[in-house]
Amino acid sequence: MSIDWITVAAQLANFLVLVWLLKRFLYRPILDGIDAREAEITARMEVAARAKEEASRAETEYRNQLAALQSEQASASEAERRAAQKEKDALLSEARERIERERAAWATHRDDETRNFVTKLHRAGGQALLELTRKAVFDLADETLEARIAAHLAGQIETMDGNLKKAAGSAPDAVVLSRAPLDPSIQQEIRAVLQDRFDGIAVRFDTDATQSPGLALRVGGAQLAWTVDTYIDDLDTLVTDRLTNALEAKL
Amino acid sequence: MTLSPDEITMLTLWGFAVNATIFYTWIVMAVLTVASMIITRNLRADVPPNRWRTTLEVIVQTIQGQIEEIAGGPSRHLIYFAGTLFLFVAASNLLLVVPGFEPPTSSLSTTTALALSVLVAVPLFGITSRGLGGYLMTYLQPSFIMLPFNIISEFSRGISLAIRLYGNIMSGAVIAAILLTVAPFFFPVVMDLLGLLTGMIQAYIFAILATVYISSATAPRKSSDPQEDTP
Repeated sequence: MSIDWITVAAQLANFLVLVWLLKRFLYRPILDGIDAREAEITARMEVAARAKEEASRAETEYRNQLAALQSEQASASEAERRAAQKEKDALLSEARERIERERAAWATHRDDETRNFVTKLHRAGGQALLELTRKAVFDLADETLEARIAAHLAGQIETMDGNLKKAAGSAPDAVVLSRAPLDPSIQQEIRAVLQDRFDGIAVRFDTDATQSPGLALRVGGAQLAWTVDTYIDDLDTLVTDRLTNALEAKL
Repeated sequence: MTLSPDEITMLTLWGFAVNATIFYTWIVMAVLTVASMIITRNLRADVPPNRWRTTLEVIVQTIQGQIEEIAGGPSRHLIYFAGTLFLFVAASNLLLVVPGFEPPTSSLSTTTALALSVLVAVPLFGITSRGLGGYLMTYLQPSFIMLPFNIISEFSRGISLAIRLYGNIMSGAVIAAILLTVAPFFFPVVMDLLGLLTGMIQAYIFAILATVYISSATAPRKSSDPQEDTP
């Protein structure tokens, strides 16, 4: 074990040269490269951070815009809803009015129909009642119905009370109204009774196709009549009462 | 048997006998320099690092990390010095596996030269860091009575560095040579493997101890700016 000082000096020099060489070709390039890469990474990170910040700002802006749009959309929807509701109300109101009008028209039509039907029914009922009565009177009393009506009217004329007489006053004529022309003998009988009751009164016999079967006498403001309408009304009341009672009994 | 490569003359240049220690040192220097030049020749920040460059960066960053851990902060000058110590000793010891190669670190002259370089580097780094007065004051710490002991300690560090490295490497080489004559087919391989391990450990220890000595002479670092002492 010995030390060669010349070799020591040479190795010192070699070592210093090696330090310089490695500094020149190894450490500095490597460390500078690492530093440059770190600086580049830092710069990229800063760029990324800035981009992230911008993205965050854009996101916030977008969210605000979205919120504004949603608010506008809600307002528009509310306005649309109100408009739709208004239109719906208007349509419903119009429909109700139309239905009401149609219902009124229908009710009017129904009432007309009912009235027509009742009139026809009354007329038919009256006619039937008249025919039956005529047949019954003929079978039982061997008389015509018109003769019996005329007799009944003559009886009423003879038994007129004071008020009726006052209403008749001193009328110059009397009008006997029937549905169909009266037989001349009946006309004569009535004229005789009237002229007997009201001195010298002129008697006129008129017909009215719309009048219910029977006879009506008008003298001034007084009026006497016998028609089948009274019986029809009674019959109607009777039938209605019976039907109502039957329905209540079923329920 | 030749114990030191200093005694082997490899060639003569201009009348100067170049012994094996210097010759193989040049080879190690050439290997390290050429390898560094090849790997770092296309070093650009915009070029992604290749496999070799990454390997070199890992080595350099490991050295840098170790030094920063010991020194308490980054120091490029210390990296140049201690890193070169490590790479030189490690490369010398690793090239032991090359047949016929005599590791320069098995020469006491080489280890002495390296120890002397550490011995000189300690005050240089200390003066650079603390200033001349500040560095000299460290010899009077904790008391002026300690001055001779601090001086002795300073020199004994260098001597111990030199002897430790030389003893380990030289003994490994000597044992391998002896075993080569006794059992030439098996033990040399084992001894070479052991020599590689020992050589790496010795390189690490030598560089770490040098860093510790230099760091103890320098002021504690507060800043972590890597460019603070870049020349």
